[in-house]
Amino acid sequence: MKKLAPSFPFAAVALAAMVACGSAAAQTDPELAEQVRRLREELRQVRQELDALKARPAAAPAVAGPPATSVPAPATAAAPAPAAAPAAQPAAAYPATASTGTGLNFFGYGELSYSRPRNNASASTATVGRAVLGWGYRFNETTRMAAEFEVENAVVSSEDRGEAEIEQMYVEHDFNPSVSAKAGLFLIPIGLLNESHEPTRYFGVFRNQVETAIIPTTWRELGVGVQGHTDNGLRWNTGLVTGFDLTKWDPASSEGRESPLGTIHQEGQLAFARSLATYGALNYSGIPGFNVGGTVYYGGVGQHQPDFAAPDATLTLAEAHARWQPGRWDLAALVAQGRFHGVDALNATFAGQPTPVPDRFGGWYVQAAYKLWNNQEQSLWPYARYERLNTAKSYSGLPQGLAPDIQRDTRTLTVGASYYLHPQVVFKADYQRFSNDSSLDRFNLGVGFEF
Amino acid sequence: MRFVSAVLSPGAGPGRLALGLILAAALSACGGGGGNSSGGSSGGDASTGELSAAAQLGERIFRDTSLSASGQQACISCHDPATGHASPFGTPTAPGGLAMDQQGDRNPPSIRYLRFNTAFHFESDGTPAGGFFWDGRAGSLREQARAPFLNPVEMANPDIASVVAKLAAAPYAAEFRQVFGDAIFSTPEDAYDRMAFALERYQLEDPEFAPFSSKYDAFVAGRATLTAQEMNGLALFNRSDKGNCAACHSSTKPANAPGALFTDFTYDNLGVPRNAAILANADPAFFDGGLCGSTRTDLAARTDLCGAFKVPSLRNVGLRRHFFHNSAFGSLEDVIRFYVRRDTDPQLWFSQDAMGNPVPYDDLPAALRGNVNTTEVPYNRRPGDTPALDDGEIADLAAFLRTLSDGYTP
Repeated sequence: MKKLAPSFPFAAVALAAMVACGSAAAQTDPELAEQVRRLREELRQVRQELDALKARPAAAPAVAGPPATSVPAPATAAAPAPAAAPAAQPAAAYPATASTGTGLNFFGYGELSYSRPRNNASASTATVGRAVLGWGYRFNETTRMAAEFEVENAVVSSEDRGEAEIEQMYVEHDFNPSVSAKAGLFLIPIGLLNESHEPTRYFGVFRNQVETAIIPTTWRELGVGVQGHTDNGLRWNTGLVTGFDLTKWDPASSEGRESPLGTIHQEGQLAFARSLATYGALNYSGIPGFNVGGTVYYGGVGQHQPDFAAPDATLTLAEAHARWQPGRWDLAALVAQGRFHGVDALNATFAGQPTPVPDRFGGWYVQAAYKLWNNQEQSLWPYARYERLNTAKSYSGLPQGLAPDIQRDTRTLTVGASYYLHPQVVFKADYQRFSNDSSLDRFNLGVGFEF
Repeated sequence: MRFVSAVLSPGAGPGRLALGLILAAALSACGGGGGNSSGGSSGGDASTGELSAAAQLGERIFRDTSLSASGQQACISCHDPATGHASPFGTPTAPGGLAMDQQGDRNPPSIRYLRFNTAFHFESDGTPAGGFFWDGRAGSLREQARAPFLNPVEMANPDIASVVAKLAAAPYAAEFRQVFGDAIFSTPEDAYDRMAFALERYQLEDPEFAPFSSKYDAFVAGRATLTAQEMNGLALFNRSDKGNCAACHSSTKPANAPGALFTDFTYDNLGVPRNAAILANADPAFFDGGLCGSTRTDLAARTDLCGAFKVPSLRNVGLRRHFFHNSAFGSLEDVIRFYVRRDTDPQLWFSQDAMGNPVPYDDLPAALRGNVNTTEVPYNRRPGDTPALDDGEIADLAAFLRTLSDGYTP
């Protein structure tokens, strides 16, 4: 990550400030202290209940669903407050108690939006962006499965633009209280959003661009993953998974410019698996209200395909993030940088095309939200986010004059507010200003929920 | 797999062993998925090189001159492997007919890579696409194969029965009966259909019709490098502000083929000059309208499509002796020059009126010349404008196009 700092001074300063101030501020904040006290009390009660259940004769193989820490996304272990925005939101919003006694749980979320470009009202659109239903089953106290089915944009058919997908499907097993492993299709532990992408857990009608265009949220792979945590708040993840498929790159399309990895992801669909990938993630959440972490992913993307000019091409994606929630504030920053290696010969075949494979791509954002008002379950959170990214910072393999021009960084300011009718139901409104292309400026409305 | 063992080994008990099996199964599943996927991407029926019995018959029929009225013409006569299965003739069209003294109206096209084509249709935006022949009037290779045998200026048989009679006397008649039934020749319509079927199978199965063996293919596979001139030509080919060739002659691999096909199988109206060497053009009232007829009959009312012909694959274009449906040009450089200077220097290409002025798009009736594509690069020029490519760039582009010829050996 040392390499990234000079490119992202703003983000680096923000990260440093959070690290420096996090401890003292969080510990002296009365609201957070009260939260911790309540959580401890709740934990104590849960332990008592669990002990009581264990003491009973085993009437059924499973009495409760998978813990919220792992189904569908182990968000609670990743971030200090999985209830991303609302401090009032329960730590385990789902699915732990949905069907207690059956071993089976259902959970899900919905995300609907309206978007109106500032200078082109006729291009306004509204859509059921995501409708997700998940289910989990607990086989015994240490082994469980989870799966998530998602429909994007409401209708899926050959003539519609919707997608239906299995977004997660894995089996997870606890080796001991602090180490577990999973096998199947699961989310890569990267960034602030990928594992915790439900609409109530992030600010903005739409997900931020860095964690969409650079980190292809929602990014999942097939494979095995191991994760664990220590008593002092460190969480680690590692795994061996499928990777991307560079043979899918279309140099004539703009998709690779919109999201270099989004255009070559495999999503567990008959995925090329000749080249596997590995990742490592480390997060520190030992201070209430504070999280800092990062992930490095590395793997082959050429998949050793015959008759392909870049059979040995690889990808490295690195990311660092921090989040701090002092008092009524919720502050976050993230930086991500990707790099393709070994694509020279492939790019040569793309001479004159608008979208060769970039050598480097990356971006960063800083975000601040403030709980302006709350009343029991309701709360109002104005927020602002500034992001800067570039999906193609350089190209290789193309003789001078044959590569497309490097575009300027995309710089976007998002200002808006989230109104939580309930910690699990949010209404959002924001305005996005695109500094390098004002024709993209737009006003957005959204509603989301999760259970 | 070593990774899993390392993770599981500390204190591994029975429970951990079970999980290890699950993880191992998951990894195996990953490998299996890759296998399926790679099988799906190989594409084509030609990978094994083993022809079906029908395709083997098709090959013999393809080469059999006895099936023509003249006894001198077979499919291969006009679709010569040496020219990428396009016309080998020095004349703009092929000789044919009973005495081989007739002339067709169009340049016999290359029939390579047509296994990736579809039946004729209009796309959702109204663009015509697919179909076989220059005007797409045949819906399949099988349907296409039926026509030349009965065309009076080609193989010139009077009817189906006469073709089937020749087929029944061919050296491979016994194999034909073996494949399609002992009584097949007793029902000429069925036998004629099976003959077309065999020709279709041959073209679908024999790798010779889709070898993907050009220098460009080797380059894309990482086994060859293009010269600087060829590289520049490739860039000019793709660039939307220069050649813009890839807009119709797609240089990216489609989902249904192992490599780029250099056509999108659509149709375009290029305003190609009239070719006086085609006998039919001696009649000033004769115009070959392509999609709107007169050879094709079902789109006669679509006068907006008059003058539109199929976008051919540019694979093996360097082997061709004539270009465009009416063989209006005889060199690749001239074709490119026409593309970029059609409207900047119309006097170079078109006939002149009584006043000595050029008559652009003179192979279309005056009322239909508005159909010609004048909006896309490189045609979006007017007299006096700078052409999209200069002579050096034309040479570069031609050099690149010659890398598309099959049979490259490093």
